[in-house]
Amino acid sequence: MAKKLGKKARKFARKNLQSAAKRNRKIRNQINHRRPRRGGGAAREDGDQEVPQRVDDATMATNDDAAISINGLEFPEDDFEIDAEVSDSDGYLSEDPGCPYYSDSEDGDAVKDCIMQDGLDRQNEDMNLDIKKQKKKLKKLLDKDPDFVNFLEKWQSELESYRSKEDSDEDDGMDSMDDEDDSNDGSSRSAKILTGKTINEWSQLVSKEPKSPAIRNLLNAFRDACRYGVHSDSSSLQRFQNARVFYQIITFVLSESDNIFRALLEISDDANKGKIMNLKQSKKWKTVDPLIKSYLQNSLGLLSQLTDNKILAFVLTRLRVSVVLFSAYPSTSRRLLKILLRLWASGDQTLSLSAFLMIREVASLLPDCLDLCLTKAYNTYLASTKLVNDRNTKHIDFLMNCLVELHSLDVQKSSERAVTSVEQLNAILRRASKTKEKEDLRKIDNWQYINCVNLWVRFLCCNYKDYNLHPLLSRVLQVIRGVAHLFPGTRYLPLRLKLVQMLNELSTCSQMFFPIPSLLFDCLEFREDSQKAQTQKAKVKFSSLLKVPKSLLKSREFQEECILSAIQVISTHFAQWSYHVSFPEVATIPLILLKRLHEQTAIESLHRPIKRLIDQVNENKDFIERKREVASFSPNDKASVDSFLQEEKSCGNTSFTRFYASVAENWQPRGRKTL
Amino acid sequence: MGKRKDKNKVILPPELPPEVDDDEVAVSEEDIAFYAGDSKNAAPFRHFDQKSIDRYVRRVTGRDEGEVERLYEERQKRKATESSGRPREEDDDLEVDPVDALPIKTLQGELVYNRCMKAKKARSDDNSSSVNSKAQEEGADAKHSIKKDEPKGKSKIKKGDDKVKNTQFQTEVPKGKLHSDVLDEVKEELSTEELFEKKKAQLAELGMAMLEDPESNIRSLNDMLSISNDKDQKVVKLGLMSLLAVFKDIIPSYRIRQLTEKELTVEVSKEVKKTRYYEYTLIRCYKAYLQKLISLEKQPQFYPVAVRCMCALLDTVPHFNFRESLLASVVKNLSSSDDVVRKMCCETIRSLFVNEGKHRGEATIEAVRLIADHVKLNDCQLHPDSIEVFLSLRFDEDLEKDEKEEEKVKPKKNKRRQNQEALKQLPASDKKKTRQELISKAREEVDADLRAVSFTLDPKERKRIQKETLSALFESYFRILKHSMSISNSRSKANNASGGLHPLLAPCLDGLGKFSHLIDLDFMGELISCLKKLSGYSDRQGQIPNDNTLSVSERLQCCIVAFKVWRSNLEALNVDLQDFFVQLYNLILEYRPDRDRGEVLADALKTLLWEGKQQDMLRAAAFIKRLATFALSFGSAEAIAALVTLKHLLQKNSKCRNMLENDSGGGSLSCLVAKYNPEAEDPYLSGALASVLWELSLLEKHYDNSVSSMASNILSMANLNPTQNPVPILNLNPLEAYRDLSTERELSKPPGKALSLNLKKKRRGKEFVALSPDVLQKADCSVDKDVLEEKLQNHFTVLRGISENERLRAELNHTLSSINMYKEYKKQKKKNRKLKTGRKKIARV
Repeated sequence: MAKKLGKKARKFARKNLQSAAKRNRKIRNQINHRRPRRGGGAAREDGDQEVPQRVDDATMATNDDAAISINGLEFPEDDFEIDAEVSDSDGYLSEDPGCPYYSDSEDGDAVKDCIMQDGLDRQNEDMNLDIKKQKKKLKKLLDKDPDFVNFLEKWQSELESYRSKEDSDEDDGMDSMDDEDDSNDGSSRSAKILTGKTINEWSQLVSKEPKSPAIRNLLNAFRDACRYGVHSDSSSLQRFQNARVFYQIITFVLSESDNIFRALLEISDDANKGKIMNLKQSKKWKTVDPLIKSYLQNSLGLLSQLTDNKILAFVLTRLRVSVVLFSAYPSTSRRLLKILLRLWASGDQTLSLSAFLMIREVASLLPDCLDLCLTKAYNTYLASTKLVNDRNTKHIDFLMNCLVELHSLDVQKSSERAVTSVEQLNAILRRASKTKEKEDLRKIDNWQYINCVNLWVRFLCCNYKDYNLHPLLSRVLQVIRGVAHLFPGTRYLPLRLKLVQMLNELSTCSQMFFPIPSLLFDCLEFREDSQKAQTQKAKVKFSSLLKVPKSLLKSREFQEECILSAIQVISTHFAQWSYHVSFPEVATIPLILLKRLHEQTAIESLHRPIKRLIDQVNENKDFIERKREVASFSPNDKASVDSFLQEEKSCGNTSFTRFYASVAENWQPRGRKTL
Repeated sequence: MGKRKDKNKVILPPELPPEVDDDEVAVSEEDIAFYAGDSKNAAPFRHFDQKSIDRYVRRVTGRDEGEVERLYEERQKRKATESSGRPREEDDDLEVDPVDALPIKTLQGELVYNRCMKAKKARSDDNSSSVNSKAQEEGADAKHSIKKDEPKGKSKIKKGDDKVKNTQFQTEVPKGKLHSDVLDEVKEELSTEELFEKKKAQLAELGMAMLEDPESNIRSLNDMLSISNDKDQKVVKLGLMSLLAVFKDIIPSYRIRQLTEKELTVEVSKEVKKTRYYEYTLIRCYKAYLQKLISLEKQPQFYPVAVRCMCALLDTVPHFNFRESLLASVVKNLSSSDDVVRKMCCETIRSLFVNEGKHRGEATIEAVRLIADHVKLNDCQLHPDSIEVFLSLRFDEDLEKDEKEEEKVKPKKNKRRQNQEALKQLPASDKKKTRQELISKAREEVDADLRAVSFTLDPKERKRIQKETLSALFESYFRILKHSMSISNSRSKANNASGGLHPLLAPCLDGLGKFSHLIDLDFMGELISCLKKLSGYSDRQGQIPNDNTLSVSERLQCCIVAFKVWRSNLEALNVDLQDFFVQLYNLILEYRPDRDRGEVLADALKTLLWEGKQQDMLRAAAFIKRLATFALSFGSAEAIAALVTLKHLLQKNSKCRNMLENDSGGGSLSCLVAKYNPEAEDPYLSGALASVLWELSLLEKHYDNSVSSMASNILSMANLNPTQNPVPILNLNPLEAYRDLSTERELSKPPGKALSLNLKKKRRGKEFVALSPDVLQKADCSVDKDVLEEKLQNHFTVLRGISENERLRAELNHTLSSINMYKEYKKQKKKNRKLKTGRKKIARV
């Protein structure tokens, strides 16, 4: 792990750091020209923005890719956000000299506490030896020829002047001042090595009295910790006495700073954006502002730098409580969103969950971020659903649910989005059905399209009861029916089953009737002309398929999966109407087919599930028929029809309900989601 | 004029003076074309030509005049025959054919051809024998033929034709060349592109000239024909197309009749001669053109072009000569595997059927007969399109009726009417009679005038044609039916791969349905029984209906056709159609949305149930119940079609409305079967009357608005009197209703106006809606402290390692470069030393 990280970091540093730093410096210079510099030493410019910058680049690149392949499914993002406020200072705070620094007497041996004996350390040691050898050699040479000393000095000074010239070429001489600042400031800072004792002392001070000046020192230490290793700033490298100190600083600041800030600002836990904005005018704010800013920015830096999922999740959970503070810094919150979305789309379960919770927090606490949030999340979702395989179905499902959550925050707003998106889907469908060209059909027969439809179906399911979403529902239905119509045949059975599942979901939420069987005849009348001689066992999983590969089309596994899936979806359908007065009629035609299938199928393993379904349906049919024989109302009596068997339904104790529950349970391990 | 020139040439002095050079050149040019065209024959001929010509040229003038003459003549002959033979598709062997092979006397093309063939055979035989003897023989032959031809004007003109052509060629070819091989070289020098451009221009010129003044330029047809013999495919295609354009333009609106012997002998005026010559040339070229097309059709690269030309010709000039051969090949291509060609042919035949005025219906009957033969020959295994064209046939219904009346009804009626009239007219005055006569006379006159103006056939002729067409049409239809039956019987167990077995059945049934009113009553019984069998009715011998190889749509179509036939014959037919109802009753369950054509089902519902009169109550009830169940399991389009039918049945059979009510456990009407059996195969035994239409209560919840409103509309009937009908909401028949709701229609509809949702502003609380709580719980269990510490420390260590590494590396590099500098330092030192020593030396010096 550590080795991997090391490699990554090194590679990254070699590749991106220089150019990014250069560009950043340039941008900053341009801005700095316009702005008067702040008082000496108060702020120090540095290339700390480069990491987020890279993230920007990366996300933008993926977005571009997605835009090409989705062809209009996603929402346009206005990417004007090459942060205008990039020039935010990195948050170095002037320290109060009164704060104590403790030299490390108790753990002086800790410099060499490298527990890890990995390749890098060995390499470093080797290099150390090498240097020693070479230095000896050099010394010998120097001893031999004293003139050489002069020569070497001359050369070195030449080299330095050349370098500085290069620098000044790049930086238009701006950095020379920075350098001065650095040398003044940095040298004094770097002199003070942070020890565990120091940190402990500071922490205690701050915990006792939030207003204590030690908070500045702590935040500076946090800043150095966050930037540790990214910028080969030799002065800050030596600041941490050992890994424990590093850990102490980070955990303490992350876990306590929210409380401290709230205490400083005197706000309660449920402060919202308006309150923060109000505070912004007050005097109090001015003193705390640099602290908060430093904290937030450095945390973001940490987030974009860390690679370990667990630490990331930890940082996210800590940072989540102070989301509201971001509202004061729009550009920072945008940066935050980008990082969050990247983490959300990443495969790790806990990490994406905590990232999502944070996103949701941001979206609900910062209303003006909601739009951006929805757009970006939607596009990220589409980009990450391009490929579906056995492993990521769960993750995609999770992403979809998250997206539905986000959209449900403001149904009014997001239903507009839904309408536009569904219109896009519809337009693609129309074009395909008109031209019937392979290329146009391809745009539908892919995961992005299907997942997009599924997203809105889920959205409808969650919000149909509370809002009047019927027009949207009918549009979505149109799309589903159209897709089912455009792709007939056994090859597209997985796609069809997926559509049927969606219909089942919609039917459950809207209490409308959908003639599900009409889409399942292909499954139930599957002609078995399989070659018995087939030896290879191929696993067929419909959850990650839309179109069955031709090689599997005649395999026994495919047929099995086909019929089992059909049984599953049709029992969902039956279960929904199992208490309705016309259940016997609903089941009539499917029953005929099932019986025929049971007679004809040659696959032994299918006999039992089919038979079981038939028996259960028959039993329920008899049950309903018995009940309705004693009923006194006619079919046109709507109220009575609706109340028919409602008591039994609420009890949910008929055999069919139990049967369906067991079917649904059986299904779960197969990686299929049921309602 | 041509003749004189001809003679001049024959007596030409042998030394080839420059003035006659052009002639030679022309011949050589043709030779080249010939050689290029047919490499097989090229070798012997070149050999022959070169030898003879060279020999001849080298010879002293006038030494052997006879031979010279012969050679000359022969060459000329060759040229002449070649140009005439060219249209006959590369029959280059005709080169040495006698000129009299041309059918000057008869104007009949076939004769020429036959003779040419004979000559060709002889020629090929000769090829093996010695060159000399052949030349002599041919020379003699040629002489003879010329003598024979001389008195005939037409041959002269023909020769002149060649002359014209020769002069044209002459302009293109560089002068002064003698030998064919030299010319070969020259020709090779001309790039193919240039040639193509030139030929194109030439074609265009000729074509324009033809269109401007066909009368005087009729001979250029020959040139165009010869151009289209080019070896360049593009040129050939261009030639064919331009010839097509020319022919389309110049072909007269009448058929050119063959001249009889008598007519030929009679002296005619110059004008008439000119016209005759024009017509003769036209028809000869047209024929040649057609032959070329027919032969080119066999070559894949020319196939589409040739067929297109033929279709266009058949479409524009169906009245003209040689229609038969055109029709034959177009009909043959009706079932071509090439989609484009097939579509083209179908369109042509259709327009032939529709625009009967162009050919007075003669072509129609021919086409129908040809298609019938074609079907017979191919054992009904053709593309459906070839039968589908019949649907565009139009029969004059009045004529048909008149005919019937004349044949059967009229005698009786007339008698009756006459009797009546006689009875009535007894008291009537004579005046009236005369007046009536006058009126009828005037009417007749007007009719005659009208007929004369409109160029229509007289009704009798038309009737005859239509009758024959009909019989040919039904012959093929019945053949297809019989064929499908025999196959379904023989293969019932062997192979149950449906579809594709009876490609012609569906269009055949369509046609039978369309022309059902024209079927002879004598066939009716047989037809119905045939349809019955096809629809899957099996006399209850325990046969599973699945064994029928016909698809559900086809079987439904059989039912539809049977009903149409029955109904269009005024339902006078005494046939039991009950079986078809049984079939439909079962087929409803067999229907599958994507496999079968929903429109056929809707059409069947419409024809059998919706259009019918009052139904048997039991049967109606069975259908009502089944349709309601059907609507629950199928898409909205099928459901609405079923509901429309159901509603109609309920309206017509008011007693069945009891099914809408739940009286004491089921329908109030008791019948033979007390309990409803949803899977019954016989509508009479289903016991549907005892059931209640519970389905409708669920259909009210249907997602499709029109279905659900239709369901509630039907339900509202329960509260009405038997005589009352609910407010009509959808005045469509099942077929229209189906089409309205079908997915295709929905998809092709323009997108509706932008959707706008008006939701009340309501901000949801913080509760989660989509994520299940157990997922959310996972987030709260924060990371273990120890693990976190370890991880963070690791992170730190790694970072430190990296930066340490970087620092060390920089230092190492620095040291190393310092060491390297030492070398440079030494070098410089040496230089300095040298300089110093040099200076010292200089100083010394």
